[in-house]
Amino acid sequence: MKPVIRGVGAIGGFGCGIDALAAAATRGECLPGIVSVKTETGHVDMPAFLADTSTLEDFTGKKALRRIGRYSRMALLGSFLALRDAGITDPAKERMGVIIATGYGASRTTFTFLDSFIKGGDSLSSPTHFSSSVHNAAVAHVSMLLGITGPGLTVSQFGMSVPSALLTARCWLQEEMVDSVLFGAVDEYCDVLGYCRYRFFGDTAGVSGMNPLDLDVQSAIPGEGAAFFVLSRGDRVPGYALIEDIHFDKTRDAARAAGRETILFLAADGHRECAASYGRFLSGPSPIACYTPLYGSLPTGQAFDMAIAALAMKRRRYFASPGHHVKGPGAKIIGNEHVPGGERIACVKSDGSGWSGFVTIGSSDGEHDGVFRNT
Amino acid sequence: MTFQERLKHLLVSELNLEEITPEEIDDDMPLFGEGLGLDSLDAVELVVILEKHFGIEIKSLEEGRVAFQSINTLAVFVEERTA
Amino acid sequence: MNGCPRVAITGIGCICAPGRNLPECTDTLFAGRTKPLPPRGFRHGHSISYPVFEVPEDWIAPGSGTAGTSRTNRLVLAASMEAMTNAELDREILRSPRVGVCVGTTVGSAMNDEVFYRRYSEGEKPDMAPITGFLNGNPAAAVARQFGLTGPCQTIVNACSSGTDAIGVGALWIRSGLCDVVLAGGADELCHVSYNGFVSLMITDSSFCRPFDLHRRGLNLGEGAAMLVLQAAPLRHGAARRPRAFVLGYGASCDAHHLTAPHPDGQGLRRAIGEALRTSGISSHDISFVNAHGTGTKDNDRVESIVLSDMLPEVPFLSTKGCTGHALGAAGAIEAAFTVACLEEGRIPQSIGFESPDPDLPASPVRCATTLKGTVALSESLAFGGHNAALVLSVEEGTS
Repeated sequence: MKPVIRGVGAIGGFGCGIDALAAAATRGECLPGIVSVKTETGHVDMPAFLADTSTLEDFTGKKALRRIGRYSRMALLGSFLALRDAGITDPAKERMGVIIATGYGASRTTFTFLDSFIKGGDSLSSPTHFSSSVHNAAVAHVSMLLGITGPGLTVSQFGMSVPSALLTARCWLQEEMVDSVLFGAVDEYCDVLGYCRYRFFGDTAGVSGMNPLDLDVQSAIPGEGAAFFVLSRGDRVPGYALIEDIHFDKTRDAARAAGRETILFLAADGHRECAASYGRFLSGPSPIACYTPLYGSLPTGQAFDMAIAALAMKRRRYFASPGHHVKGPGAKIIGNEHVPGGERIACVKSDGSGWSGFVTIGSSDGEHDGVFRNT
Repeated sequence: MTFQERLKHLLVSELNLEEITPEEIDDDMPLFGEGLGLDSLDAVELVVILEKHFGIEIKSLEEGRVAFQSINTLAVFVEERTA
Repeated sequence: MNGCPRVAITGIGCICAPGRNLPECTDTLFAGRTKPLPPRGFRHGHSISYPVFEVPEDWIAPGSGTAGTSRTNRLVLAASMEAMTNAELDREILRSPRVGVCVGTTVGSAMNDEVFYRRYSEGEKPDMAPITGFLNGNPAAAVARQFGLTGPCQTIVNACSSGTDAIGVGALWIRSGLCDVVLAGGADELCHVSYNGFVSLMITDSSFCRPFDLHRRGLNLGEGAAMLVLQAAPLRHGAARRPRAFVLGYGASCDAHHLTAPHPDGQGLRRAIGEALRTSGISSHDISFVNAHGTGTKDNDRVESIVLSDMLPEVPFLSTKGCTGHALGAAGAIEAAFTVACLEEGRIPQSIGFESPDPDLPASPVRCATTLKGTVALSESLAFGGHNAALVLSVEEGTS
């Protein structure tokens, strides 16, 4: 069973909505903002890709959001955008499920809760912040504000959160637990994560831009955002694309998933520790692209690659891989001249401990000859 | 500022009530359910707010049930407990 | 659920306050011997001490994980070891990418190390070891690492229904043909942060909890882990023993009502139970007992009682949290383990902590040990955020 992607909602450093992501991908660049990181020796300015959730109020009104933290706000905005993009104004609430993949969960609210009792004593622990600090707060708010009463699930597997959660989303559809899944990936930036980046990598890593295909350089710039998809069964349903395959394991054979007729979108995001595992693709036979400079480094970034893949399938045109230097011979980088010829796109994420997740996106409108054309 | 006004400002800021101003809260308006529309999560947050700003310890929600009905009952409660 | 294969349970491991393995836990459950105590693993500054069900430190051998492994992971590894030993799986099978891991947790995925954060907040330079530990400490990944597993790996963070959901998802992976074997369950440790959270919500009892009782005043937190080895049946892979039980059905739903309070009519719970029964092919008349969520809070117990009296009238039910406390992400898995153990024994213990019926509750749990009239049971969980999950478990294979 191959889930159909019927709608996409995305927010991140590139802006709000699938059109904003497409615009950034067309430009081939996205400028990060600046965050001020508190360190023990003073504040340090560092780049970060930050999302703006202010348009959420257009969907919900201000009152409904009063106790909702940023992590859940990004999820809500992604959800509303995806449903609108799918043309769904009134979801079949009992037959829709919600799955959210997240690496860090509601990190800001987690620390706000700690603040409440560290500063004031245990008796001043804030119940509002505690109940919003749990990873599943986002699914809760999405289900409440959209009235969705099917099953809900939050998956947290760091870099493998997206393929892992997608496996379950596909099972839900296959077993007919639901007719559609609102599937999303969310990760938020917070001061503590910025501080950790500073401690692990110093204050200069990434300041001259992300260069993720230069595998020897630490160039990750933290990002945040949400990418949401409305998935359903049925290959005659209009949509962006199909999720052809989801493959996630620790075996070396994971590399086989990248067949000859497959383009690879690598979620290499400038972390040297994980970079080595992408090396085999740079010198392999498949053309590659890497879009992480458009949205930054976050555990669930692979979902943005899925969104870009879905867009490429729908518009029948690839976005050029954002300009960067690649060390070593032989890599075939996707440029503006590349036109889809029926091949599939494998969105690949590897972490530093041997796991690899492949989400393969294919065209949803019929037979093709499977030949990659470079016109 | 009267004590009631101080309580209203506190509720608006601490409970993040962005769509109402302190001036729009009547002294006898029900705080929970109808009226201001607070719920069970706000009730336990209010317990923390009262401890933080007035040093009042509430050990169970039954203690707060009468006190939390309106700004007026809350004012009476706080004044009694801090006397 | 539609289609083969069936989901067999071939091994179970369980560690929580009543015992360091499932047989010990079961003995204690029937003897009714545990009681909650003030926490020893951390200090707190509340004027009242809310007792908890803590696992003794010497039950979690350091050898069950690498040095620096989180308490949650040490618990899940201990339970996993017992389950794998119990299942007597052919070790060769573990190398297959069709062997998955699915673990439910709340604390185990939280980046909330207090020592680190206090030092950071005060402008000092904290040791980064807690952060490295967190980044390397995903519970499902830790189990996969321990056993050299290379297949699908998933940590579910669904608050108090995580354990039930993890087992349900593991069963789905087998039924859909993704996996042949799944190690599924849940784990959570007691810690100062969640203690503060639950105390601040004013839903903890300063004495022992009394699920469904007239005088109930809240829950006692607990900790622990339980893991089940799920296998596609008919068994193909070198299992030396016949299955202990089967996962016949799973249902899950959202209340879409409130962040911390259950839907007052239990609508979400009704849907979850209905879906679990439908997918199992089992009628409500065949359910021999229900392992309820039964935390001891006013709201939860009222809602469950209403739903159970409506959907499963006359079916005996109990809460085991009077013996274990509420172990959050581990609770649903611990209760699934207990459900199988009770089905194997053909009896359920009294619902510990229950003495006086509440006239506002249409149904009350069993007050004494009760012989079972059947081989199928339901185990259910309700969670913050409005998640509801239910499993239908049986010691016979079923015909769905």
